[in-house]
Amino acid sequence: MKVFPYRTLAGEVALRVTAVKQDQKDLHTSVFSGDERVVALHQVERDDWTYARIGVTATLPVKELDEGPWQDVSVVLVLTEKATNARTTAVLRPRGSDNAEWTGRIRLWRAAHRSQAELSVSVVATVDGVPGRIIGGSEDNWVVDLTARTPVRRRELQINEVDFATGSEEWLRPFKDAPWIVETSGDLPTVHLNTGFEGVSELLNSGGAPLERAVRDMLATQIATDIWTAVFHSAVSDLELDEEGNPEWPGGWRDAVLRGMLSDVLPGMSGIDALSEIHARRRESSGWNELQPRISYAAGRRAKVARNLGTAIRVLDASQKASKA
Amino acid sequence: MDVGEDFGPWLARQLRLLDISQAELGERVGLTRAAVSAWITGRAVPREDMMRRIATAIGTDPGTVHTRTTDAVTGRPVSWYHRPAHKDGGREFGNAAAFAFEADVEVLAREATQNSLDERLDRTRPVRVRYTLHELSGEPLARFRDAIGWAYLRPHYEAAAAQEQKVGRVIAEGLRDMNERDRLVLLRVDDYNASGLTGDDYEDGRFAAVVRRQLDSNKSDDGAGGSYGLGKATLWAASRLGLVLINSTLSVPHEGRTARRLIGRLDLPWRVVDGQACAGPAWFGEPDTVPGSENVARSWWAEEETVERLHLTRENDEPGTSFLVVGAHDVASGINEHTASDDGDEDESVQAMHKKLLIALANNFWAAMTSGENTSPLLEASVRTLRNGVVVMKEQRVDPRLVQPSRTRALKAYFDGRTVDELTEIGQVAMAKVPLKVPAVRGHGKVAEHEAVLLVTAAEDADDGKPNHMVTMRGSRMKVRSARVPDLPLGTNSFQAVLLAGHAAGADAVEADRAEAFLRASEPPEHNKWGQTEELRATYSPTAHRRIADFTRAANNAVRELVGKRKERSEGGPKALRELLGLDGAPPAAARGGGFPTILDLDAFVDEAGAWQIDAEVKLPLRQDPWVMNPVARFEVRSGGRPSVGWARVVAGANCEFVDGALRFKAGARSATFTATTDVSTHPVRAALAGLIVDLQKTKGAPA
Repeated sequence: MKVFPYRTLAGEVALRVTAVKQDQKDLHTSVFSGDERVVALHQVERDDWTYARIGVTATLPVKELDEGPWQDVSVVLVLTEKATNARTTAVLRPRGSDNAEWTGRIRLWRAAHRSQAELSVSVVATVDGVPGRIIGGSEDNWVVDLTARTPVRRRELQINEVDFATGSEEWLRPFKDAPWIVETSGDLPTVHLNTGFEGVSELLNSGGAPLERAVRDMLATQIATDIWTAVFHSAVSDLELDEEGNPEWPGGWRDAVLRGMLSDVLPGMSGIDALSEIHARRRESSGWNELQPRISYAAGRRAKVARNLGTAIRVLDASQKASKA
Repeated sequence: MDVGEDFGPWLARQLRLLDISQAELGERVGLTRAAVSAWITGRAVPREDMMRRIATAIGTDPGTVHTRTTDAVTGRPVSWYHRPAHKDGGREFGNAAAFAFEADVEVLAREATQNSLDERLDRTRPVRVRYTLHELSGEPLARFRDAIGWAYLRPHYEAAAAQEQKVGRVIAEGLRDMNERDRLVLLRVDDYNASGLTGDDYEDGRFAAVVRRQLDSNKSDDGAGGSYGLGKATLWAASRLGLVLINSTLSVPHEGRTARRLIGRLDLPWRVVDGQACAGPAWFGEPDTVPGSENVARSWWAEEETVERLHLTRENDEPGTSFLVVGAHDVASGINEHTASDDGDEDESVQAMHKKLLIALANNFWAAMTSGENTSPLLEASVRTLRNGVVVMKEQRVDPRLVQPSRTRALKAYFDGRTVDELTEIGQVAMAKVPLKVPAVRGHGKVAEHEAVLLVTAAEDADDGKPNHMVTMRGSRMKVRSARVPDLPLGTNSFQAVLLAGHAAGADAVEADRAEAFLRASEPPEHNKWGQTEELRATYSPTAHRRIADFTRAANNAVRELVGKRKERSEGGPKALRELLGLDGAPPAAARGGGFPTILDLDAFVDEAGAWQIDAEVKLPLRQDPWVMNPVARFEVRSGGRPSVGWARVVAGANCEFVDGALRFKAGARSATFTATTDVSTHPVRAALAGLIVDLQKTKGAPA
């Protein structure tokens, strides 16, 4: 729980993107989404752009600001990306008479970013004679996605259907006899499904008879178990430490994976405790092996092993009875 | 000089009023009956000196005979005329048209205002509509009741209220409210710059359509909103007493006059009063003298003083009509009214109606009230509330921008020609044309292509109603339907769309007249959608409704085009697998003891020594073994690791003890408290310069 030694804003500070321009060209408003709070810069599908200029409006709780002890209020737009340590700021200007809406724009240089930047707003004021204090900010930040074509938050691990033997990704060639391979090194973990492995794609896309569906779901569960296990290990191995040697939340998909699975891997611990614990066990190798069943259990839960296996057994049972009868 | 009535009809009426025969007048002026008859039928006009003799003969001055803008004699005293019961024994226990609507001020506002819009007189100026809520009690109420002849009406009301019919119960409720609480709410609807109730008392015309007939839609404008003639019934439906008084200033003189044409109409169910069976409706007016309509109450030209007493005074002589709904009630807010017992709540019922009217007007007519730089609005509306003649809530002009900021912005941009083809910034308004193929009437002639105007703009938080909706309108920018645009791509920015079809598309829209007629034919009585109707089938063709479906589809496509049609995501993969790979879809925590201790509440301040003093409340999940946790304090920093600070002192409170640097919570306890002070020497910066985060962490080596 967080407290401040001075008064901060209780009201909501809202941030919304109003316009995006890329290298002199005004982009259609469909490149950003207010509901998803995402700007998708790859909609135009070109990589050789230099900068994007993002126009925003921030809405402040005016009544509270007027009545509060704050002076010299200013509003700052902040664009950051963890992966590149880039940080850009821009000052917003009030619009209208009541100072409720502040507008401005910020420039995102392509060269300074890699995949996803975060856009937030901070309200800064003089409090008790101390200038430059942050008294509030946007809770729901925007994501500026440099690789997305549509402005939606990517909330799924990726699936890539490709023939390992003949596809463009040469590194997959040695695996041409494998039905699938999990890759966790990219921006988002991806499972490559080998379309050259006869029947895999067809089976996963099949429907129809209960038995067929049961087998399909079993296969999907098996692949998913593989993926969740791999992404969990990958996320744990990439943790960065702060100055005191405590692990930090990694951000991005790793964050989502860890937060989603740690409660099953190390139940009864708060998130940060579980993160420290898993990091310690892995580093010291003490208790790491003991943890494997729990990781397997957590991955199995994400992959819905119990449900899909149960269904398969019931269906199999029913079909056997039917064939005997 | 005012152009008065033709001499013939005027003289005929004077003779009727005076009960003088043509022969008798002939005798008085020294001529034959045939000569008088020639004047009356218009075959001849008397000479100047004869005019003077006629004036003397009927007891008036020559000026009146010349101008013929007033009657030579004062009419018979106004009174109530009750329609006798049907001879076939038929009984009507209410007005079916009134039951077509909820008796709600919102519906009243919608229908009455639409009628005013349809009757707009000077098409270069807005029609002005004013709603006045006036609550009467005590002496003013008594005076008003006298003015409408309450003593005479009362037996009729009592007979009606005694019936176990829906209308009877409503009336009984209205009477009880008025008698017990000594209070009556008058709702007046005035329009200015409208046609007024023109035409004869009985023949086709606006007056008869409103006052005498049911389901007669006498619309002067083929772009009219209504076409079923139901709207006016809402006026009577809104009155608990079924009584509406009318004062109209006519745009076209009738009987040579325009101002203060009054009539009252009462809708009661069938009843027997003093042995006389009455069919239902009754009229308040001057007993007629025309043969065949003797004693039927007809409209009369009232004195200013009478108008004043009936609360019907209009603010100027601009044409238009004032409807006074006597005993206005609002079914929707009626529930509150009954539970209200003290005076404070009574106030609110009128005030609630006032607010409701404002919102209803803005929601239904925002488009008609929107103006551009060079485009005047079609309508101006306001609401005020009085009590016994004293202003309770000041007159408020309805501002469409308050409830419909984004849609009014769209319309204004269209009027001012500031629309864009492609949206590149929030706040812009994009425009596209949507074709409507209008089939020929009964298959004769060619199909016409009308171009409707589609406007799309970003939704605002202040918008009333849901985002991503398209409002369709026609005629005097009357809302027909509001529907969600289907099949929007994921992540579409919320927007509002307006589709202007027919006359709403503007004066210079292609084939607007035919589109207007076609769309009106495709509306049901509620005027709330376009689709297959009997009229459409009969007037056009059985398959004409498909044109509407095509039109709607084209409009939805155009919206999707404007808000940004996106390529479907190519990434995807088999659905069975994709379902298992959602990053947010963590399964609910398995049953495992229910979590870990957390700090529920934290009071903290920096003391004079510069140390943080904290007072924390801890929530503990139920567990057999005691929880052992370390309180950890860190300073908040912008990025990177947060430096932790040491404690100078930790004091255990309820349900815990402080042992070996850790808090040991009592087994089985659900909550605990502790206080602590940070060690200033471990602060990386002064406490006043950073935020503080306090957490509970598991003590190393303690059981998980």
